[in-house]
Amino acid sequence: MWKNSSLRCLLALAVLCLRSLMYSQEIGSPGDPQNLKCVTHNLHKMLCTWDVSSRGKHGQTDFCYTTNDLTPQVCFKTKERRVEIPIPESSITVTIKSSGTAFATREFVIHQKDISFVPVTPHILSLMPDFPTSTLNLKWSDNGSVFPYGLDALWQIQILRKEAMEVVKQVSYYSKLTHEDVILSWNWTSDMPLECTSHYVKIRCYINATQFVGPKDWSDWSPAEVIPGKDTEPGGSGVFPLDPVVAVGSDLMFCCVHEEDQRITNMTYGSKSYTMMQLSRRSHAIRVLNASVSNTSGTNVVCRLENGLEGSVVFVGYAPDSPQNLSCETPNFLIIKCTWEPGRPSGLYGERRTKYSLFERTSGKNVSCEVNEVSRDHVCGFPVLPDQKTYDFILGVSNPIGQAQSSLLVDITQRVHPKAPEKLTVTGSNSTSIQLRWFINGSFAETRLLCQIEISSSHSERKLHNVSIPGRKSSTYTAQLNALHPDTKYQLRVRCSSADHFWRWSDWSRGVEQTTSEAPPARGPDIWRERSPSGESLIVFWKPLSLSETHGKIVSHEVSCYMLERLLERKVVSEPSNSTEIKLGKSDCVISVVARNHAGSSPPSRITSVELPSDNVTTDQAVAMGNGINISWDSYPNMTCGYIVKWCHSSGSEPCSVDWQKFPSNTTNAVIKSALFKPGVRYNFSLYGCKSMGYQLLKNITGYMKELPPKTAPNFIVEETSSDSILVKWEDIPIEECRGFLKGYLLSFAKGEKDALKPRLSESGNPELKVNNITDLTKKSMKILDLQGKTSYQLELQAYTAGGLSPPNSLYVVTKEDSVGLIIAILIPVAVVVLLGVLASIFCYRKREWIKETFYPEIPNPENSKALQFQRNICEGNKTLKTLEMNPCTPNSVEVVETQSTAPKIEDTEMMSPAAETIVPEDGSDSEMENHVVVSYCPPIIEEEISNPPTDQPGGSSQVVYIDIQSMYQPQIKPEEEPEIDLVTTAGYKPQMQLSINALKIEGHSPVEEELDKTAGYRPQANTNTWNMGTPDSPGSVESNNENASFGSPCSINSRQFLLPPKDDEDSPKPINTGWSFTHFFQNKPND
Amino acid sequence: GDSWGIFTFLCAALCNLPALPALNCSEELGAGQSIQQTYDLTRYLEHQLRTLAGTYLNYLGPPFNEPDFNPPRLARAERVPSATVDLDLWRGLTDNARLAANYRAYSRLLCYLRVLDGQVGTAELRHRLAHFCASLQGLVLSIGGVMSSLGYPLPAGPAGPPAGPPGAPAAPNDFLKKMDDFWLLKELQTWLWRSAKDFNRLKKKVPPAVVTLRLEARGF
Repeated sequence: MWKNSSLRCLLALAVLCLRSLMYSQEIGSPGDPQNLKCVTHNLHKMLCTWDVSSRGKHGQTDFCYTTNDLTPQVCFKTKERRVEIPIPESSITVTIKSSGTAFATREFVIHQKDISFVPVTPHILSLMPDFPTSTLNLKWSDNGSVFPYGLDALWQIQILRKEAMEVVKQVSYYSKLTHEDVILSWNWTSDMPLECTSHYVKIRCYINATQFVGPKDWSDWSPAEVIPGKDTEPGGSGVFPLDPVVAVGSDLMFCCVHEEDQRITNMTYGSKSYTMMQLSRRSHAIRVLNASVSNTSGTNVVCRLENGLEGSVVFVGYAPDSPQNLSCETPNFLIIKCTWEPGRPSGLYGERRTKYSLFERTSGKNVSCEVNEVSRDHVCGFPVLPDQKTYDFILGVSNPIGQAQSSLLVDITQRVHPKAPEKLTVTGSNSTSIQLRWFINGSFAETRLLCQIEISSSHSERKLHNVSIPGRKSSTYTAQLNALHPDTKYQLRVRCSSADHFWRWSDWSRGVEQTTSEAPPARGPDIWRERSPSGESLIVFWKPLSLSETHGKIVSHEVSCYMLERLLERKVVSEPSNSTEIKLGKSDCVISVVARNHAGSSPPSRITSVELPSDNVTTDQAVAMGNGINISWDSYPNMTCGYIVKWCHSSGSEPCSVDWQKFPSNTTNAVIKSALFKPGVRYNFSLYGCKSMGYQLLKNITGYMKELPPKTAPNFIVEETSSDSILVKWEDIPIEECRGFLKGYLLSFAKGEKDALKPRLSESGNPELKVNNITDLTKKSMKILDLQGKTSYQLELQAYTAGGLSPPNSLYVVTKEDSVGLIIAILIPVAVVVLLGVLASIFCYRKREWIKETFYPEIPNPENSKALQFQRNICEGNKTLKTLEMNPCTPNSVEVVETQSTAPKIEDTEMMSPAAETIVPEDGSDSEMENHVVVSYCPPIIEEEISNPPTDQPGGSSQVVYIDIQSMYQPQIKPEEEPEIDLVTTAGYKPQMQLSINALKIEGHSPVEEELDKTAGYRPQANTNTWNMGTPDSPGSVESNNENASFGSPCSINSRQFLLPPKDDEDSPKPINTGWSFTHFFQNKPND
Repeated sequence: GDSWGIFTFLCAALCNLPALPALNCSEELGAGQSIQQTYDLTRYLEHQLRTLAGTYLNYLGPPFNEPDFNPPRLARAERVPSATVDLDLWRGLTDNARLAANYRAYSRLLCYLRVLDGQVGTAELRHRLAHFCASLQGLVLSIGGVMSSLGYPLPAGPAGPPAGPPGAPAAPNDFLKKMDDFWLLKELQTWLWRSAKDFNRLKKKVPPAVVTLRLEARGF
């Protein structure tokens, strides 16, 4: 309608502009209606309002309008100052006549552009909270029925929070109006639980009417709808949200609502305390960022109040992973078992755990799955539906945080995984076959089963035997195993799968054991025969049959001897012997050997006893190459039935056990292998050829598995020695000690003394070592030449094989002396000495004058010699020197003479001795040795000196009288003590009798007793005065009266010197009586 | 430790089987012996609960496993029979009244314990709780046995294995449930502690010579 008249509109607008300019002059007159404003809410009608002066406020108003000149004016009376009139197409002329005090009429022209468009204030139909999810749901009507179709509507929604109504969110919502009343809905999830505090919602709208030319504006805000928080409820308290389940990593907000009079202490999340923010007087909140997986029972959020506690439990976990590796199979066509891997654990337990359900799309059937928490087996069973082969499964996984799914399309006939066969039994068996029976639970009627039987025995490898059996419903199945070995214990077990579409083997059934019965041995034993050394009997050997050939336990062997089909002898040899002797004499027969077990006899093995004569049998040597001894021979064309190599194993002292090996006639070499062959042991092999007539020895071979060095050294002796050679002889080494084919001997020698510590020659590195290699084995002696005479040689002999050298054998030999050389060695020096002597004699004779001149000049007169003058002086002083003469000192027998004057004098001597006694033991030890001089009396001197004895002396003779000098023990006295003695003694020389005996008692005795003892001691024999008088010659007599002690004094035997000091000793201040003290000291010593 | 306890429990349970009212042959066993066994079982349960409570409180998580955690007892926790009766008052009761109170209390505690067992998230803890429940069931039977042997009637009410938690509604939220669990364990501990004292006192009161006397009588 608007569009069709667009041109007219433009014209009308132009006219209106002019007219409004004309009317504008009228507006503003006092008392008149003023400020006519028109607003439309729905684009159909508009609401016009105007102001009037105070005078005309209560009167009636005549309101007339006309849209254009053609239409008649519409008029009505109104008491209000607002009218609703249709919106004109272009403009409208309004005449308002107010019937107040004065009839004021006013005419307005309203153009479309003057009409403003403000939509009706929206009305909130409902505001529904969802507390667990903290979500608000807002519903309101778009009021679209009043608007033309297709207008864009813009909605503004405001969320306010707390008592103070803080705007927390303002969102715009867009919708299209459809000329119908549509109820719009909008959800908003709060980051804060709705219980924490009151939430308010307001809404307003704006309709974008593009055709409308007037000003457009937002509607008014709707009245706020409120969701009251718990903090507004009287008695409402707790921690919110209650028991939420959230995903790991979420940011969480918890609030604690409490009574107004309670004070909050703290809030914890888990074990951690968080800072609180106040929401209202009764509500506080904490914010937890990036929550991690909670523990099994959930994380506790605790709000501690002054006198109480509030809490909530939050469960933080993961949304379930999509199940991995979903696989379904049927074990029995009754149930389908699906398994999967769950992926990451959700971290939620109990009623919040992850739950699984299996939905089959074809049938629309749904089963929920119980997952075993302990075994963590994720298995779900779905029943097999009749007439359905293909199943389209969807495994749904869900927990409170999220859900996932996984699908699988499966044909169960191709996914058959039977359970392990049960009740496996052996229903029958003989020597070569076993019948088995087992049971498989399940409905396999429409498939074939492929079963695998595992057969294992102790002496054969594990074998698998497949059988394909038509399936039946929960039935037993049988199978027979053939071609088994008799007398063998078999372990058997079975597993099965679907034969049509192999998917998986079942588990193995429990195993059963069965032993097959015995059967006759498969063949006769391998036999050989040998004549006894005497040739009278034949020894028949046979080899035991292998386990696979015995078919049971061999109990005996039957040996028969036939001559031209006539039985000569039959012998039954029980196990375990493997040979027998048949007395045959010189005759021959055909030997037949049969092995027997409980089930029967083997076919016979035959051999003839005939041995054909053979000539020029050679003996070869053979050494093992690799792991066997290689024997080769020339081709003997007339050996029609092959060759036989026979040998003997000996073990220790027992006779060797015969072994042999047969070869076809076209072979010319063989490698003989045996585990019994040992290195270093000699084996003798005999090669026999087989002819129709009998066997012929062709060749002998000795061989070693491996050559080793000889075990012992060869014994050798020295046969003879000369001054330059040694003849050595040796013996052969016994064959068993050779341990190889002997190659030769090494004889080494070098100079050397016998010495136990000496190393072996070969190891000594002696530069003179000489080695002789003797390769001629027939040679048993050797002469070593070019040796030195009378020299010690060390000889060593070693034998060697390809395996190495034997230990050496050593000998020491000294070569004989070379007599000619010795004679020459003596003669030459003798001859040289003689010659030199002769030459010297001749020289001396010839030069005798010169020699005399040089060595024997004329001797001068001895009278003139100074040396002789000196001699004379000495002779002059002969008198004085006479005392120096040494004479033998012989103790003499002395007769006892009584002297009167001695006794009182002796007492004086004794007075001194106690003092001396006390001194000596202290410091006399140093002089002890040097002063301890044996003193004896020298009568010859005394006799000489005292030539004129004093008259007043008793006895009056030159004889010095001693009192029992024989009893005197040892005249021990010192030279020093003499002066002391002469001071005190008056009664002449006293013998030192009883000195040793009585001295022992001295210490214990009283001084009186001592005195008595001391009288018996050594005393000067006379008054010194008397000596002085009688000895004018003595030097002491001239100078001193008191001290002339040296004369007549005893002399030392040792020194032959006078023991008394010479006269120049007179200036010594006081004589010390040390002699006694020393004596005492020594004598008393034992008493100490 | 543990095996000894199990052995004791089994012994106690077996010995007390004849004491069940259903079998009504309580005369067979001496009261003194049965009191001794009940006492032993109580001590064993005390020991068992100590480890179980530690594990369970750890399972509940902080702050329940904090040593100084002592929440105010909520009104709803009163459904768990409280052992916090004044001790003098308790001592003033007759033996019969105390035994009956014990019997009633353990019967109810057992009910709650069974509910607890069904809700626990970990299999291991469930297993241990089930084991403890079995032991506690033995104690209930054992107390019944003692009462019978002393000639007291069994109290009316939940006797034997109860069918489910009586009366009080289940906790409205998980936190309150945890608080209930906490109080249940705490009350159990107090009850066991007090029961051990009760049985010890009773043991002294009733001489264990009943069996000996009977044997003597038989001998003559």
